[in-house]
Amino acid sequence: MSALGIDGVTVEDTFAEAFGMRATRLIITAANPGWARHAATTATGFATSVIACGCEAGIETILSPRETPDGRPGVSILLFAMSSKDLQKQLERRAGQCVLTCPTTAAYGGIAEDSAQDWLGLGRSLRYFGDGFQISKLIGGKRFWRIPVMDGEFVCEEKIGLVKGIGGGNFLILAKDQQAALAAAERAVAAMHKVPNVILPFPGGVVRSGSKVGSKYKALLASTNDAYCPTLVGLTRSSLPAGVGAVLEIVIDGLDAESIRLAMREGIQAACARGGERGVVAITAGNYGGKLGPHHFHLREVLA
Amino acid sequence: MKPLTLRLKTKPPCLVDAAALRPRALAGKPREDILRIALQGWNQSFAVGDLFTVSGEDAGRVVLEGLDGSLIRVGAELDAGELTVSGHAGDYAGEAMRAGTLIVRGQAGDYLGAEMRGGAITVSGNCGAFAGSGRAGAMKGMSGGSIVVRGSAGDRAGDRMRRGLMLVEGSVGSYCAARMLAGTIVALGHVGLQPGYLMRRGTIVLADARFEPLPTFNDNGRHELLAIRLLLESLAQYGPAFRRLARQRLFARWVGDLGAEGKGEILVAAA
Repeated sequence: MSALGIDGVTVEDTFAEAFGMRATRLIITAANPGWARHAATTATGFATSVIACGCEAGIETILSPRETPDGRPGVSILLFAMSSKDLQKQLERRAGQCVLTCPTTAAYGGIAEDSAQDWLGLGRSLRYFGDGFQISKLIGGKRFWRIPVMDGEFVCEEKIGLVKGIGGGNFLILAKDQQAALAAAERAVAAMHKVPNVILPFPGGVVRSGSKVGSKYKALLASTNDAYCPTLVGLTRSSLPAGVGAVLEIVIDGLDAESIRLAMREGIQAACARGGERGVVAITAGNYGGKLGPHHFHLREVLA
Repeated sequence: MKPLTLRLKTKPPCLVDAAALRPRALAGKPREDILRIALQGWNQSFAVGDLFTVSGEDAGRVVLEGLDGSLIRVGAELDAGELTVSGHAGDYAGEAMRAGTLIVRGQAGDYLGAEMRGGAITVSGNCGAFAGSGRAGAMKGMSGGSIVVRGSAGDRAGDRMRRGLMLVEGSVGSYCAARMLAGTIVALGHVGLQPGYLMRRGTIVLADARFEPLPTFNDNGRHELLAIRLLLESLAQYGPAFRRLARQRLFARWVGDLGAEGKGEILVAAA
């Protein structure tokens, strides 16, 4: 494969392969930014991969009071699942256990009505916690539920919009050692957090355990991506160029392809900035030969 | 194009049903046909041409001028377009309307917006009793849409109201929201006796603290409620008086009517 380079870093001419998912945006507000953040962090916890978490979720952006429906500080989170049914289940559980429970919070849909391709119940399910004391209120054409809780009322929209999103956009940072890979990944994540409509669902936005489909063990759907493990060089068919001592992956889920493309560009450029002197060797991407996922993000096109 | 304008030239000898003068019903009709439309009175009918002079072309915006209360059911069953009335809109204005806009520049009689399901009614002056209620014997009053009264509303405003929004800039009479099933009534002026009598659910917001609760309402304390803030902020579009109320944070809350389901609330702006 031919390659292009940025600041001394080789960018492989390959592509990231991504899949269609169902997605939604939840706006969480609270009396102050800290409590909004607590709720958002908890609601998006244990949501790195649909392989075992049920959904992929993350904080999209921090919202100022001017940007939220109730004029309070807020956080926007995105949730992705493989089906509408799965997403509904995860939304109910996460909003019910992590947002409803969090002091002073309220929850609103973040997908514009005209963009929504379907609807997910929010207050429609959570209202039953009110044990008959819940009150619905139609405000500005939207139905809200007021659920009595010990600090007052938990307010949430009855339903929130669902859209078709994309999960699994990715790129891999190949560096001379762990420290260089980590620094490059941190630069990339910081840059990508500024892009709207995307989340990086893994811890700190970074994955060290990139996976391949399948395993020698029948029970496992995925297993370690041995081709990119530096400690398996010489034991397996390695894809690592000489001099690579550590690889980190950044996975991107987004509401649309263009946002993923933009996030990948920002991330790759940040990772590669003075990358040659900082120990970054190459950038590549994970795919399955193009046969599984309908969305292909070619690194060359992304960076064009 | 100028709005299709019907100016009352002859006062009918009895009340006349004007529900036929809806924008959608008049759309596409030639002038001669409009003049021949029959409007039913108690025991006789009147042609539009007998009662009105007609001018203008745009049937999407119909104007009824010079009304004196002798027409009833003006804008009843309105389902699209804009109907503007100047003068006295009479009883049952906007009854059972589903969509569109009814603008009354003047007064409205009893049963304004009775059993309406959608659309918007604005009255610049006062309206009579039973605004947003059900007709006699009906189980439910208005179940959608909005009624904005810039003046005062009479007794029984929102009687058996099921859903929707009623805003009154002036005072409201006695038995406001009696037997209310759900919905929202906001009054900036004084409220009469027995507000919320047998209300089951729903919200009454009162800007004027001169309010005497029924004994079947319990004091729920003072609260700063996010949902009420959202509600009041959504009313800012209805003018400066409602924008001022939207700045109010603390409300004394009364819950009832405990003689009915007891899930209603009366919120009184607290000092």
